[in-house]
Amino acid sequence: MGLLTREVEHAPCTVEISHKFESLHAHVRFNNGAVIYPGDEVQVEGPEIMAPFGEVVSEDRQATIIRASKLEQLWTRLTGDFEVMELCEFSFSEEVTL
Amino acid sequence: MNAPLKHTADATTVEEGLAIAEAQDKQYTSEMATETAMANTLLTPRFYTTDFDELDAIDVSSVREDWDVLIAQMEADPNKGHFKKNEDWDHVDWENMEPELKKEFIDFLISSCTAEFSGCVLYKEMKRRGNNKDITQLFQLMARDEARHAGFINDALREAGLRVNLGFLTQKKKYTYFRPKFIYYATYLSEKIGYARYITIFRHLEAHPEHRFHPIFKWFEEWCNDEFSHGEAFALLMKTDPKLTSGINVYWIKFFLTAVYATMYVRDHQRPAFHKALGVDPDWYAHEVFTKTSKMTEQIYPITLDIEHPRWQRNLEKLQKANVDMVDAKGLKKLGAQIRAGWAFVNLYTIPAKKHAVPASVRLEPAY
Repeated sequence: MGLLTREVEHAPCTVEISHKFESLHAHVRFNNGAVIYPGDEVQVEGPEIMAPFGEVVSEDRQATIIRASKLEQLWTRLTGDFEVMELCEFSFSEEVTL
Repeated sequence: MNAPLKHTADATTVEEGLAIAEAQDKQYTSEMATETAMANTLLTPRFYTTDFDELDAIDVSSVREDWDVLIAQMEADPNKGHFKKNEDWDHVDWENMEPELKKEFIDFLISSCTAEFSGCVLYKEMKRRGNNKDITQLFQLMARDEARHAGFINDALREAGLRVNLGFLTQKKKYTYFRPKFIYYATYLSEKIGYARYITIFRHLEAHPEHRFHPIFKWFEEWCNDEFSHGEAFALLMKTDPKLTSGINVYWIKFFLTAVYATMYVRDHQRPAFHKALGVDPDWYAHEVFTKTSKMTEQIYPITLDIEHPRWQRNLEKLQKANVDMVDAKGLKKLGAQIRAGWAFVNLYTIPAKKHAVPASVRLEPAY
């Protein structure tokens, strides 16, 4: 990893989407053990995926990982915390008026 | 949407509900094909990483007894059968719902669904990247609950004719980073305040059922018990390391308490139609929720905010007003509003906190 350069990596991945009454969730798992670090960007290639209601779909896709440069990674580690309030749920969006 | 299809609310069993929903789905798909306007709700969760080695290093042996009881309770999953529609899920008259209320209520459903969904993504990631069995087990259980809640809210959204769109999966997403301790402070409070918010509304509607404009509120009691146990788990995690709740970290705790309470106050006051329909005065509600949350957080935090202090309510109101002014204003006026908001927050943060001794044992049971 360069101090200022970004590297691009491709990784096979499995996308699982559950669109069931009992569970609405979606996860992407890298099948080659690729690990995501702060500041990295990930894009799953291909068309949008959506499971019909009541079903779980699992699709093997290719993901592009744009690795953050050393500097970006450091910056994300230092500043990411400022956004931590996002983890709190308040029932409503932040829009003042709808 | 106007064909004489049975409504999922009319279903008496889950199976029937699902069958109706499927039939609706087919209808909606064809409607979409003919380009009938169908609102599409893009969920936009964020993606995070944290210090997974630090998570792996957590040793729960100092709270083992309480930990095992809590995990066993979560594994037994007493709420498993709860998130099902039964005869209590009565008909919702979306067509005749007052437009302002409808907008605010849908905002409530979408925001709640996104929050549950994001919680699920975060917890699942922590489960997958960790190697410490205690920790991965906990996060797996919490991810399960969040996905279940998201599914339940999604169903209410579907009834309103809204479809969630998971298009974000194939969009480029950047992973940000939070330190584990900030995740604990933020999510602990979020779960506990969530419990207080839901139970306060639930009890209020028990006393005033005429204000229950949607059946989802009937599910708030068990729902908030999940929030409660998640909060308990984070309290135990914090208990494993006394440094997390002492020294300089007390200032962080105070920051999170102030920020969470203030944000809640501001957001609730931006949804007047929702609160009016529930018959709830947002100022009364805020005070109730803060009181309950403060009482609960005494289990682990050595301070609570002095919400009876004269500066408290005054500055919450100033913050709320500045926040509204910020939207329409431009240039210097906007800057002025930002400064007023910042100053109000400083005034809230600097109110002397109430100090107290933390009990040796953390565990609480839902009491409200």
